[in-house]
Order: sequence, then structure tokens, then C-alpha cells
Amino acid sequence: MFRIIKKSLKTRVVTGQYPKTESASRLVSPEAAHKMKPFQHSLTIREVDTGSCNGCEMEMNALTNSVYDVERFGIHIAASPRHADALVVTGPVTVNMERALKDAYKATPDPKMVIALGDCALNCGVYKGSYAVAGPVDRHIPVDVRIPGCPPRPAEIIDALQALRLDENRGPQSLF
Amino acid sequence: MSTIDPNSSDPAVEALQAAFGAAIIKRDSLRGIPILTLKKDDVPVVAHYVHTHPSLRGTLSLLWAVDHRPHEARYGLFYLFTLTEHRDWLLLSTELRDDDRLFHSITPHVHAAQWYEREIRDMFGLIPKGHPDLRRLVRHEHWPKSTHPLKKDFQWDTVLKRAQGEYTFRHIEGEGVFEVPVGPIHAGIIEPGHFRFSVAGEPIMQLEVRHFWKHRGVEKLFEQQHMTAGVPLAERVSADTTIGHSLAYCQAVEDLFDIDVPIRARYLRTLFLELERLHNHLGDVGAICNDTAYVVAHSHCGRLKERIMQLNDRLTGSRFLRGVNRVGGVALQLTAEQMSGIVEELNDIERDFSEIERILSANASLTDRLETTGVLSERIAWDHGVMGVVGRASGIDRDLRRDRPFAAYDQLSIKVSLYRYGDVRARMRVRLDEIHESIRLIRVIRTQMPSGPIMADPTRTPQSSEWALSAVEGWRGEILYMVMAGQEGQIHRCKVRDPSFVNWPAIQWAVIGNIIPDFPLINKSFNLSYAGNDL
Repeated sequence: MFRIIKKSLKTRVVTGQYPKTESASRLVSPEAAHKMKPFQHSLTIREVDTGSCNGCEMEMNALTNSVYDVERFGIHIAASPRHADALVVTGPVTVNMERALKDAYKATPDPKMVIALGDCALNCGVYKGSYAVAGPVDRHIPVDVRIPGCPPRPAEIIDALQALRLDENRGPQSLF
Repeated sequence: MSTIDPNSSDPAVEALQAAFGAAIIKRDSLRGIPILTLKKDDVPVVAHYVHTHPSLRGTLSLLWAVDHRPHEARYGLFYLFTLTEHRDWLLLSTELRDDDRLFHSITPHVHAAQWYEREIRDMFGLIPKGHPDLRRLVRHEHWPKSTHPLKKDFQWDTVLKRAQGEYTFRHIEGEGVFEVPVGPIHAGIIEPGHFRFSVAGEPIMQLEVRHFWKHRGVEKLFEQQHMTAGVPLAERVSADTTIGHSLAYCQAVEDLFDIDVPIRARYLRTLFLELERLHNHLGDVGAICNDTAYVVAHSHCGRLKERIMQLNDRLTGSRFLRGVNRVGGVALQLTAEQMSGIVEELNDIERDFSEIERILSANASLTDRLETTGVLSERIAWDHGVMGVVGRASGIDRDLRRDRPFAAYDQLSIKVSLYRYGDVRARMRVRLDEIHESIRLIRVIRTQMPSGPIMADPTRTPQSSEWALSAVEGWRGEILYMVMAGQEGQIHRCKVRDPSFVNWPAIQWAVIGNIIPDFPLINKSFNLSYAGNDL
């Protein structure tokens, strides 16, 4: 026990120790910001992988480590689409995952946001045109926000999620 | 392509010649790999002999098919065995001429062939006669009949129609037996796959893994590429193994173009491959602890993994080391300051990690959860040809870095970590050992790294239908690539094999008798790629 406490004291706070990126507010349309209003203070995300190379998953996982720690912004990862405010979809939609994506979308309660994460979700990336790929995410479900990158860095994902919460009346929400 | 050596005195080949002289049509060799071309009907008996004979003990490492049309009306089938006793490769091959669609399944004798043969059936429409399980593997039930994407008359950008169909799971029936379906979308941030458990009370009686949800047609996409342009796609087979896959691809193409990669580039490739091993192993140790609800360790390991990802980013501009490997060498030079910066950072990480390791090993309840959980016996591991971290935790003493040195590993001595218990703890201990070994290797690389160029040019152009095999010990295990040249520098066929494809069936055995709540823990201790498996 003492060893664990000693280690924690020695390590100190690492949260926020990452290179900053450019502001991502250009990614957010006024419609998306408006739709985001109910989730200004708390956003619960369900991640759905429809055929990525797993890079986007690794960066989504990194969001929950102690360096990025998205919980400090009121962003949670839910285990089920039924508990989610937003679906984060990664990868091109494969022929085999098309149905599962639509089911997950239907299972997510309204109002809901759909965030397409990574180049593949936006335009199928290197898999574009393949017989096994049934198009980008917005061919199958309505997409509100598009975050490009192959894969986007965790800091870029955080910036995009934060930009979504710009309140048109009050300016940017404070982080803490 | 192949240099025929009539005086070859390979003991394995001689033994086979003596036992099956009549079955062997041709003896050949390709860059030191002996190739025996067999009559189609004799493949199962020869494969059985190679697999079981005490002087050979071959495990099936790769099985692939090639459609030679439109130039020749035939399919080639290739069976690559790793001979345990010689730590060497042996390739058996056969062919199906004209309209012949039947080949003899070797699965009843060589268990490891089961998914390969089903894959060949799906992708080429060739039927493995005598295979005990002829259900679809890659093509899910809503794919139309007679869709075989790797046949040459199938267009890569075909828009598939939807059909009706049903996949039948293996059922266990009886009083109190329940089925628990899980997936394809899971609770965590992980990739999609379906698991079907049959349980009676708590213990799992059977697990059936159903995958290929993420099938993106990677091998067909390779066939649309020029040989020198396939690296970005190889990097995206499985992002966590960016360096492993791109390196295996580059090596195969470099073999075809006869490129002698400069020694400094080989050292740099080794360095980046070890960095990739490090960030994945650190993440895995944390994730295994997390699945026993030991969050402290998970937080610390996640922090260290992140440090390496940020180091990668600073060095190469990519957290996943994308864009590093190129056909002919590497894309970037590291300065002496950068090298010592890497070693300093890793020294600090190792100090930090050793403290975490002491906390882990002092925790009795963690050890209790890990020991005897998810045991994969050496026998089952060997039967399935299991490799990599999972294999070395079950007594399978294989590591390509030592057995078939590539990049700069011929200049380094590797200490291979080996355990025999085959439980989650053994798989974690292999990772712990390999973390220290990787850091040690990077220190050695820094002292030995020669100066010089980092790119080399091709010295020849491969003829159509020449091919090359390449193998890399990635952090998960053996990554194999077969690249066959086509017309005008195009790829005719590229077979990609991530170790996950081999290790997934084995997890079905490791969970038997365990409880479902331990499945995430066992799954995490295997940590297999879905993207690399589904292709």
C-alpha cells in the first residue's frame, strides 16, 4: 500500500502533458453546435468500429488514460449505445458491419449526435472502392461532425469535442 | 526466379524424397527455401508426415492459393511449414489445372490448416475435400453465392448485392445449457467480433469465435497497387503493428527487386520495431491488470505507453510510426542526439516501470486472478501452430528474431522469454521480460549503429509471376507476407498473414472451463488484432 502511495506521489499529476494542437473549431458547423446544446456539460459516447485498422480505436482508448483523461471534461465512454448521447464511428463501413451500425444507431436514444472519426469514416481512406466496403459513414446514417486524420491524435479529438461545446452566447465553456 | 540446386542435401528434403519419391513432381528452391511440388492427391499424406515425423515436426506457418489466370488456367496451392527440429522452412506446393476446383483438405491431419482452407474456399471458390467444417468464414451469410473476391475474374470494385442466408453455430444441447451471444459491437472501445459461449452454470463449455466483420478486401486492394506503392496499405492492415506489417511487406518487395538495404537502415528498422513492441506490451500489461479491476497499474502503464507514443511522434511525426519504412530502406535519419534522447527516455521509463513491476508482483490478489486462468496447453498450442507471445507463454520456443534473423537482428543476440504454464500470468510475464529485452536491445542498437546511407535503389525488375516470402517477428508474433509480381510492376497476389489469424482459433480452447467474466481477461492476455485477422 505504501509503495503504491509513494509511487503516486512521486509520479505527480501527468494530466494535460501533451503537445497542444491547432484549434479545431473549423470542424464544427453551427447546426452541429446547436444540436450539441443538450450535451454541453456532459457527453456520453459509444464508440462503434465499422472496419478501421484499429488506429482510431487506440487513440480513442488513449483519451481515457491519465494523460488525456477526457472525464475531466464531462465526457464518458458508455458500454452500450442505449446509454449514449453520441456515436463515434470509425473506419469505412464494411459490407459485414453495415447492419450492426444501423442497429446501433437505432438503439441510441434521441436526441443523438453522430461523430465520424478518422479519414476512413469520412471517405473510406485507403479502402475506398473495395468490394468489401459499403461506403463512408454518412451513406448509412446521418453524420453531424467529421474529425479527419489517419488517425487523429487524441489531442485533436479532444479539441474537436471541446469545439463542439462552444456556446454561441457565452463563448467557450471553461475546461474545469 | 528459383535457383534449382540439384546437389541440395537438405536432410528434410532427402527424408521426404526417400519416403514419397513417387509423389514429388519437382524439387526446387527459392532463396534457400526448399520447395517440393507434389501431385494433388498426395498432399495430405505428405503434410501429415511433415507434421508428425519426429525428425521434422513441422507446424503449418502459412497456406495460400494463387490464381494464375488470365495467363495460365491453373491455381497454385502452397503449404509453408516451419520444421521445429531444424527451425527451418519447407514449402510444399501443388496445383489445380483447368476447371479443377477440388483439393484435398489437410485439416484432418494438420489442425492449423482449418481457417486457411475455409478462407481459400471463400476467396477462390476452391473446395477443400474432406474438411470437417465447410461453413463460410470471410463471406458472411448475406453475401451472394459464387462471390469469390480473389479470383482474377472478380473485379475489385464490384458492388455486392445482398442475399439471404443463415450461419449455424455449433450447438451444445442439454438441461441447463445456455448460449450467450456477445458482439459484434462490444462494451469497451475494441474492434468488432462475435463470440458465442455455451455455458452450464458458470464454466464455459464451448466458445465459438465468429470474425471477419472488418473484412475490407485488403489482399484484393494490394493487387491494384504497384509493388513499390503498397506500403501505406500495409501500414493500415493493423495500426498497432504498423512497423511490423510495413517491414514484412518491404522485405518481400526488396527481395523481388534485389535491393540490398543499407545496414544503417536495417538498424533503424530494428529500432522502430522494438519501439512498437514496447508501446504495445506496456499497454497490454496495463490492460490485463485493468481487467482484474486493478486500475492503479492500468493508469501507470497507460502513462508509460503514452510516453512512447509521444516519443514516436517527436521522432517521426506519427504516433504509430507511419511513413518510416519505405521499399529500399527508411524515410528518415536519426541524429546522434536523437539516439541518445531515445535511450535516456527509455532508461527513465525502465526505472519507472520497474517500480510498477514491484507493485504488481507484490499483489497477491492480482496473481491469484492471473494464475491458472485461461490455460492454453503446449499440446493444443502446437497443434494449432500458435506463435508469438501466446506461443512462448505455452512453451513454443519460436522467435523469428533469433530463428530467421531479419533487419539487423543477425547482429544482435536475443534472449527469448519462454514459459510453460500457458496461463494469463505466463503471457503477462513474457511481455514483462520482452519490455526489458526491447529496452536492452535499443541500448545495444545505439552503440552498434553504423553510419551510412538509409536508402538503396533496385538493381533489377522482377519478372511477372516471380514471388518472395518475408517474415517479421512483430510484437504479437510472426507476420508473413508473400508478394507475387504481376505485369508492369503490379502486384499479382499478396498474401498477408497476421499472427492473429493463427492464434484466434486457439483462444476457443484456452477459455474452456473458465467463467465468462474471465473471458475479457483471457482475451486481453492474447490481445489479438481483429483488423489484421479480417483483412
